[in-house]
Amino acid sequence: MSPALLRIENLKKHFPVRLGAFGEKAATVYALDDASFDILEGETLSLVGESGCGKSTTGFAILNLHRPTAGRVIYKGENIAVFDEARMRPIRRDLQIVFQDPYSTLNPRMTIGEAVGEPILFHKLCSKAELPGRIERLLADVGLPGRFAQRYPHELSGGQRQRVALARALACEPKFIVCDEAISALDVSIQAQIINLLLDLQEKYGLTYLFIAHDLAVVRHISDRVGVMYLGRLAELGTREQVFADPLHPYTKALMSAVPEADPAGERTRQRQILEGDVPSPLDPPSGCRFHTRCPIAMEKCRSSVPEWRDTGAGHFVACHAVP
Amino acid sequence: MSSAPLLAVADDPPVSLWRDAWGRLIRNRLAVAGLVMVLVLAFAAAFGPMLTPYDFLSQNLDARNAGPSLVHLFGTDDLGRDVFSRVLYGTRTAFVVAIVVTALAVTIGVTLGATAGFFGGLFDRIIMWFTDMTMSVPNLLLVVVINASLKAPLSQWMETQYLATLNPFFRETIWIDFLLVFGSMALIAWPPYARLVRAQVLSIRSRPYITAARALGLTNRIILTRYVVPNAIGPLIVSVSAGLGTAMVLESAFSFLGVGVNPPTPSWGNMISDGLRVWQHYPHLLAVPAIVLGLATVAFSFLGDGLNDALNPRGSK
Amino acid sequence: MSETLLEVKDLTIEIATRRGPATVVDGIDLHVGKGETLGIVGESGCGKSLTMLSLLKLLPNKIRVAGGSAMFGGRDLLTLNNKELRAIRGGRIGFVFQDPMTSLNPVMRIGDQLAEPLIHHRAMSKAAARQRAGELLKLVGIPGAEQRLDAYPHELSGGMRQRVMIAIGLACDPDLLIADEPTTALDVTIQAQIVDLVKGLRQRLGMSVVWITHDLALIAGLADRICVLYAGTVVEDAPVDQLFAEPAHPYTRGLLASIPRMGAPDSARLSSIGGTPPEPGRRPAGCPFAPRCPLAEDVCRTTVPALAPLRGEATPHRVACHVANRVMEAA
Repeated sequence: MSPALLRIENLKKHFPVRLGAFGEKAATVYALDDASFDILEGETLSLVGESGCGKSTTGFAILNLHRPTAGRVIYKGENIAVFDEARMRPIRRDLQIVFQDPYSTLNPRMTIGEAVGEPILFHKLCSKAELPGRIERLLADVGLPGRFAQRYPHELSGGQRQRVALARALACEPKFIVCDEAISALDVSIQAQIINLLLDLQEKYGLTYLFIAHDLAVVRHISDRVGVMYLGRLAELGTREQVFADPLHPYTKALMSAVPEADPAGERTRQRQILEGDVPSPLDPPSGCRFHTRCPIAMEKCRSSVPEWRDTGAGHFVACHAVP
Repeated sequence: MSSAPLLAVADDPPVSLWRDAWGRLIRNRLAVAGLVMVLVLAFAAAFGPMLTPYDFLSQNLDARNAGPSLVHLFGTDDLGRDVFSRVLYGTRTAFVVAIVVTALAVTIGVTLGATAGFFGGLFDRIIMWFTDMTMSVPNLLLVVVINASLKAPLSQWMETQYLATLNPFFRETIWIDFLLVFGSMALIAWPPYARLVRAQVLSIRSRPYITAARALGLTNRIILTRYVVPNAIGPLIVSVSAGLGTAMVLESAFSFLGVGVNPPTPSWGNMISDGLRVWQHYPHLLAVPAIVLGLATVAFSFLGDGLNDALNPRGSK
Repeated sequence: MSETLLEVKDLTIEIATRRGPATVVDGIDLHVGKGETLGIVGESGCGKSLTMLSLLKLLPNKIRVAGGSAMFGGRDLLTLNNKELRAIRGGRIGFVFQDPMTSLNPVMRIGDQLAEPLIHHRAMSKAAARQRAGELLKLVGIPGAEQRLDAYPHELSGGMRQRVMIAIGLACDPDLLIADEPTTALDVTIQAQIVDLVKGLRQRLGMSVVWITHDLALIAGLADRICVLYAGTVVEDAPVDQLFAEPAHPYTRGLLASIPRMGAPDSARLSSIGGTPPEPGRRPAGCPFAPRCPLAEDVCRTTVPALAPLRGEATPHRVACHVANRVMEAA
């Protein structure tokens, strides 16, 4: 197994919010609680779960774009979770992010060339004379012709913009990229192009990905390991085979069962396990195991005590009282 | 590597959002009409007084209250002064007041609004409370109070200074007029700019491209100058264009009421006020300044609407 | 084949642009049988939503129907006046939109929003409409239906709001329910609930359903027949099993191949369709898919292919492609 590039320990992110017409009621959104896992060098680790489960918050907290409430993010032996913006700056080169909405991640007033060239100049990665050649190479890396450097974002399609966002992230020569729902807003045929591009780039530059998504079919396709989150907590984490072929947590099982398959005959006969009810509010998460309100096998213990996050063997982690 | 994407836009020249907006603006007939009228008025304000054959103050008591003729295009007033020259000079007054007042108001508004939006928290609440307070005071009342309370002591002070120094600067009471007009009007004109800029900054601050810039490690200064400001400026341009028109109307209104620019300096407002007294006998004395003021207002409003449609294409219609 | 409920012929829709009108829907033919569920599949901008909105004159500004007909119950919907249309909207045809948050009136109680079409179309009394509203909420599986009648939309979760939307669509026992990406904004476990609900209701009420989606996997288990749209044209129309077993149009095949499958063996790369769909107003001559098609020949770039039965047989499987027949025989 490769060594860990990032080690996340008991990471927490709580957002204070004010409710009521006059903001008189203080409350806390428990967006992420007690997440511990390693991100291994060169792997694609995916985080899946439904909206509000905290998967994007995890990505933002790891990159210190949202300062973690508690916990540690160890990179090169240092806890970057406590770094201020100035100390983060050199590290940001190594740790990059690509966002979901291709229409708003690029500054509409800057050309593609300016957008891609900006981080290169800022981090002084090459001279001004070398810059155009470098931009062209980066655009070529993401499958765009060099003349796109003069274009503005609004002239590009969603897929093309997402390629630019990737080129921009690559400009810093990063080791690690968080793909925050990076393909979710794209059409099916374009999604496949970008997934292939991500895999190509990973091979070429030895990148490590934290792939945040809700589309399990895509996750199954590109991940080495998968983490499943529910309402701010990790429910299960393991290799792709462990999680998809042998899911342990009842939530993982329900999630798998809810994913439709492109197979009409199979779909008609398939027995789905449909979860009752809705995801509770992260403002007031249930006590004990947060899934117990919807869990088909919840026990008395699940209502009162938080299940321990433990390795069931061979790196297959789960947090559930019912798993032996 | 995946196959090269097809480029639907490949052969057109690149279009920046500014150029795109300009294209939309000049296709809008009303906006072009507004723009042309504004340019004509601006030209008149800049060069008009130099081109007219008459001084706006020179009186010709033999030709009082004359109707429009080839000698006096718009006729003369009760002191035999050429109305055309006076209207041109009034245009200059209107432009000077509008530009200076708007510049002052924008400076105050943008500074307060941007800092409130960027830093948020208590700072934001205090600034916005102050803004709302200012907005809630009736405009006219504020201007009248300022003028009434400050004008006499200021004139007094100027006179003492003149007597003490004999510096001719202090004899020109017109500076007091301008100072009071500029100051009091800027004081009532800045809150809308502050609100607008604060809202812009707040909304831009939460855009993903700002987070993306932070993730690249860029400094706050770069993010402000290259990301926040260029994206916030569009609505501000629209607002300034409309604000210039509003300032001209305000100036005229105050001059009309006698709390703005004082005679003999010509202003559309005090010309209207003079003309109103005799309009039954000499309607041109009221009509000419009133029509010019109306044209200016319409011009700025067309231009502002056009700019709005051009800079915010999605919000139009 | 069962009796036809809706038959759209040669529907053309234009959008007004700076350079003049641009065609966004180009001569679409489609039909829905009584009790049938039709899936309309396509990527964003292919015209799938506009096609359905145009039937009820719900098109946004600057977009208009330029030609074609839509026969529903013996009348052409496109020629009806507003008064006649109002009787059909929400009466005989129910509509469910993508975003339940913005499609419900935020300042009106759920019960009143449900009762409105009943009072309007069925001339029910207020009390009767309220009682029926309660039944409808029960029908779409909302727990504590009676109490929820007095709730406002923001007090409900996304899944619950979509159930309310469906209840409104069903209020007047429509013959046809049009659902425009009703689960796209929802999480996958909630999506499964909604799909399950519509399947059950369809059986119980015997209505026809048109389900618009971009997700082939989702529609696989739901539709009887599928129309695949590309750039404002129907490229393939087939019963669901046939479409998945032997997709004939290169676009359909590309779409199916680009879906990562849970059960499939590991493959390093997905097969993908290069390029992007044409913008309206920049449609190529000939087949709109030709510039992206791996099989395109000269004829594809000059002549628009007609939607015709596959292999020239009298089959419900129709495809608009010059080369499909040959390719299918070779395969």
